Amino acid sequence: MFSITKKMKAVIFVVATLLAVCAPTFGKQCNVSPVNIPKQWITMQQSCRSSMRRQIQMEVAASLQYLAMGAHFSRDGINRPGFAKLFFDAGSEEREHAMKLIDYLLMRGELDTDVTSLIQIRPPERKSWESGVDALEHALKLESEVTKSIRSVIIACESDPKFNDYHLVDYLTGEFLEEQYKGQRDLAGKASTLKKMMDRHSSLGEFLFDKKLLGMDI
Amino acid sequence: MTMFGFALACILAVSGAFAADTCYQDVSMDCGQASNSLALPRCNAVYGNYGRHGNVATELQAYANLHLERSYEYLLSASYYNNYQTNRLGFSKLFRKLSDDAWEKTIDLIKHVTKRGDMMDFSRRSTQEEKSEKNYTVELHELESLAKALDTQKELAERAFYIHREATRNSPQMHDPEIAQYLEEEFVEKQADTIRNLAGHTADLKKFIVANNGQDLSLALYLFDEYLQKIV
Ligand SMILES: [Fe+2]
Ligand SMILES: [Fe+2]
Repeated sequence: MFSITKKMKAVIFVVATLLAVCAPTFGKQCNVSPVNIPKQWITMQQSCRSSMRRQIQMEVAASLQYLAMGAHFSRDGINRPGFAKLFFDAGSEEREHAMKLIDYLLMRGELDTDVTSLIQIRPPERKSWESGVDALEHALKLESEVTKSIRSVIIACESDPKFNDYHLVDYLTGEFLEEQYKGQRDLAGKASTLKKMMDRHSSLGEFLFDKKLLGMDI
Repeated sequence: MTMFGFALACILAVSGAFAADTCYQDVSMDCGQASNSLALPRCNAVYGNYGRHGNVATELQAYANLHLERSYEYLLSASYYNNYQTNRLGFSKLFRKLSDDAWEKTIDLIKHVTKRGDMMDFSRRSTQEEKSEKNYTVELHELESLAKALDTQKELAERAFYIHREATRNSPQMHDPEIAQYLEEEFVEKQADTIRNLAGHTADLKKFIVANNGQDLSLALYLFDEYLQKIV
């Protein structure tokens, strides 16, 4: 009863096509048009902005490098869960640093454009480490480079002839450099304790230090 | 060990017939040898042909990398929706949540790769991935960005299905219930919820866009954003 012949099918198809073509063509607006807001409050300068953007990328790269360290010390043949935890946590911290810098840019009226290009994901440079000491020393080197880079952001942001960005410079000095110096001291202290423990009893020293990093008392 | 026993052990080791016993054989052959090194190559966490047959091991690494990339892409979307022009804190929160979840899963996957005796390779890509896929943009309007979120979440979910299938059905020499249950417990269930929620959001926005000849849209987006701030 409801079987449709080929001919009927063809007719239905033609009618449907005609309807589609002749449908009233009012464009559907799926978004709200952008509005104009005065811009004189947006005061960050180009060299400061671009060095901040580079810094964000550097924090992201550091986060990936720490993940690679976490991965290395998680391996069955390496088996240093304390080191793995230390470095996985460090990776998440670097991600948080990137987010804090992004939030700062947003507060200052930045990142309304060119957001996609802010971060690139590239595999971390180094994949394996000789020992726990080797990784701690590598981490210390990495942090020193980050510190140096933050200092260069500060220089770019305070020495712009048109605008000394006091507030950003204060933020970077007070929050970021503070954390860098504390972090570096912590890594250096860990490396030196471990190195001393390993002086004569290298494998036992690293084993014990690893459990200490896990928060275990043995 | 007798000569016959030793020969038998070697044959068995090569054929892998008693895979579970081979660490012990490494130990009994190497301990007491003149050299002071101890290789014990088979005293590892690899079992059940993980990494030896099929592509589950490499796909799991690629899955970690996909989560890592998505995590930072979602973070950029969250940032974009928090600028003074877009100023959609609810959308920002939604993407931030997706980013946090993907980051957490990245670390969890890396740990799982090493749990199964493998190494993590951060440049590993999935065979399922299309070459031209690197086109995530964040400068999108609300509905477009939800569409991207929905599509990419489906991709993650379907990739989990794919790895699950490779671990259980596709390879005659690879049946890995541990990977299957890991995916089921840590990924599959939650992904269904996330996808359903995102699809629901697009359904709501769709209605606002067509309703009342589009007159509702700007107020609807404002209210919907307030709503997202409460529920995410
Ligand atoms: Fe940092
Ligand atoms: Fe750091």
